[in-house]
Amino acid sequence: MTKAAFAPVSLLARRPEGPLYRFLFWSALVHAVLFSLAVVWAEIHEGPAIDLDQKPIKATLVRQGTPRDEKLLPRIEQPPPPPLEQKAPEPVPTPAPPKPVAPSPVAAPAPPKTKQSGEKKADPRQQLMGAFDKMSKSKPDTTGAADGDPNGDAAVAEGEAYYARLRSQITRFYDVSQTIPDAERIRLTAQVAVFISPAGQLERARLARSSGNDLFDSAVMAAVKRAAPFSPPPTHLRDNLEKYGVVLMFRP
Amino acid sequence: MRTLAFSLLLCPLVALAQAPVIEISGANFRPLPIAVPLPQALNDGARTVAPEFDDAFFFDCSAAGIFQVLDRKSYLADAREGFTASTITFSRWADVGAEALVKVQLSVDGRELRGEMRLFTVSSGKEELRLVHVVPLDQPRKLAHFFADALYRQFTREPGPFQSHLAFVRRAGRGKDVYLGDWDGKRAVPIAQGSINLLPVVGPQGDSVAFTSYKSGKPALYLQRAGGAATQLVSSGAMVTGAAFSPDGKRLAYSMAQGEGAQLYVADAAGGNPQPLTDTPFFINSSPTWSPDGKRIAFVSNRAGTPQLYVLSVANPKDVRRLTFQGNYNQTPDWSPRGDLIAFTARDERNAFDLFTVNVETGKVTRLTQDQGNNQEPSFSPNGRLIVFNSNRTGASMLWVMTAEGQNQKMLPLEKGDYSTPDWGP
Repeated sequence: MTKAAFAPVSLLARRPEGPLYRFLFWSALVHAVLFSLAVVWAEIHEGPAIDLDQKPIKATLVRQGTPRDEKLLPRIEQPPPPPLEQKAPEPVPTPAPPKPVAPSPVAAPAPPKTKQSGEKKADPRQQLMGAFDKMSKSKPDTTGAADGDPNGDAAVAEGEAYYARLRSQITRFYDVSQTIPDAERIRLTAQVAVFISPAGQLERARLARSSGNDLFDSAVMAAVKRAAPFSPPPTHLRDNLEKYGVVLMFRP
Repeated sequence: MRTLAFSLLLCPLVALAQAPVIEISGANFRPLPIAVPLPQALNDGARTVAPEFDDAFFFDCSAAGIFQVLDRKSYLADAREGFTASTITFSRWADVGAEALVKVQLSVDGRELRGEMRLFTVSSGKEELRLVHVVPLDQPRKLAHFFADALYRQFTREPGPFQSHLAFVRRAGRGKDVYLGDWDGKRAVPIAQGSINLLPVVGPQGDSVAFTSYKSGKPALYLQRAGGAATQLVSSGAMVTGAAFSPDGKRLAYSMAQGEGAQLYVADAAGGNPQPLTDTPFFINSSPTWSPDGKRIAFVSNRAGTPQLYVLSVANPKDVRRLTFQGNYNQTPDWSPRGDLIAFTARDERNAFDLFTVNVETGKVTRLTQDQGNNQEPSFSPNGRLIVFNSNRTGASMLWVMTAEGQNQKMLPLEKGDYSTPDWGP
């Protein structure tokens, strides 16, 4: 072995040219083949089916930080972002104008968990015969929830939900002047009689009982007017709300 | 659920036999939207002073914290609209969201400026307040503050803060001068100039200022009326700082250096008969501030290692209670004239100075300012509803005002300068 065989070759030394060209050629060829295969494969195979009707998955990033050290001075928290999905007070479908014969409260639809198998769309025989079988359609659904009221309380529940909605809708516009002194706020009570048409329009509103404070009175009247129109009342309340109205008792 | 249903369908009224009653509560209290159009000048003399009146009146209304003064650019009413309920088109004011409308007429008669203010409820078109006031012609700002106070009282049944006075320090070259002006710092007159004068406190009548001055070399307390001569309040030879008058104006609390520490003293308003309140020889006790009933004093002490707020009973000074336990640098306390809160400056963990309040009874600390430069040296308005303070958020150290809850922060309309240690007095 000569000494030169062990001498390190400088990285800057010129290398023979032949093998490099060959390597580049084969490398380019292999890349081209792989690329063509990928294109052909993408043409043959379809990607996963995209269902446009599928509900998007909503993910909320919730950061649960460590509680602030009690020895530190407090910081003003930024107001939290508004909830992603607010329950809209309005979207009750507008029912058809009142029919001459209003259905009795007992005939109101029962809770969904008692749905009968007859409602299923899948039965082709029923679909075919259903058009002619009027009797089966007009037959009221007499089953109810196991813990329900034997006399039926769906109408009460419906009215309750309607009034709760009315209340929350008006509360959104219930802005009262900060100038009213604290001592006076405790005593303030105003009553507004509100008359609502079957379509939910505000027929009229009048101050049934003044609070004695003009600012408060005008604030509650403004709240009612700004909150209108309301959602159409349930059938059994329509007459009453139009003729006798509802009294809103405002307190701060 | 049934109970809720019945609670909604409460006792029907006789007059509305079929009508159910729904109770609605949880009102959202917010500042009253008010329209403040330009004052109407009835003659040439009034036209000259009207802008100055308007500057002061509009700023008072904007800073009051109870009003949302609507932008004048949005007003739809005719500028030449009348001054009485019958000649005002209220629907135009309602259209811009105004719930109240305040109109002012100015006229000059000889050397007097006569102002008439009327307040209307827009929804009813009712005239709620009518007020006439006359001031010397050169004092339109005084008229503005008088009307603003009347307006404030009309709504809140509380005294307004706009006819009170503000003392403050303004840097002048190497020195610091003490000024006494209107609440907004305008019409300020120099009280002490030509040395380093610090920590001014408005005297009990609002016409004098007690302050700490280095004019004799050592810091000492002086009392001076505008245009009068300064009288030294405490002449002990020691370093004396931070005077505070008791709410009845009969006593004076201050801090006097002794050895390595500084102790609190209480004396007569003229500085006589001093009595020690603290006895902690190796610690500093300073910045006294009186409770509204004059029975307690809050102050700063480093007896626990860092500057913290403490409260002591004047009748029994041994009865000391530590008030703040959060933060490690709490100073410049000011006791609210309403009694419940003490505002103070604190340095937070980001090394920013900000304003806080601490509830005297519960010890709950609430932040008022944040992420707006350094904010320091709070002072409550005489009615306890507003706080004036200094802030360098715009670069220079200027004076600002906000509500006691930290809302509606506005810079006082002063010319640019370096202002500090405001004190809002009667």
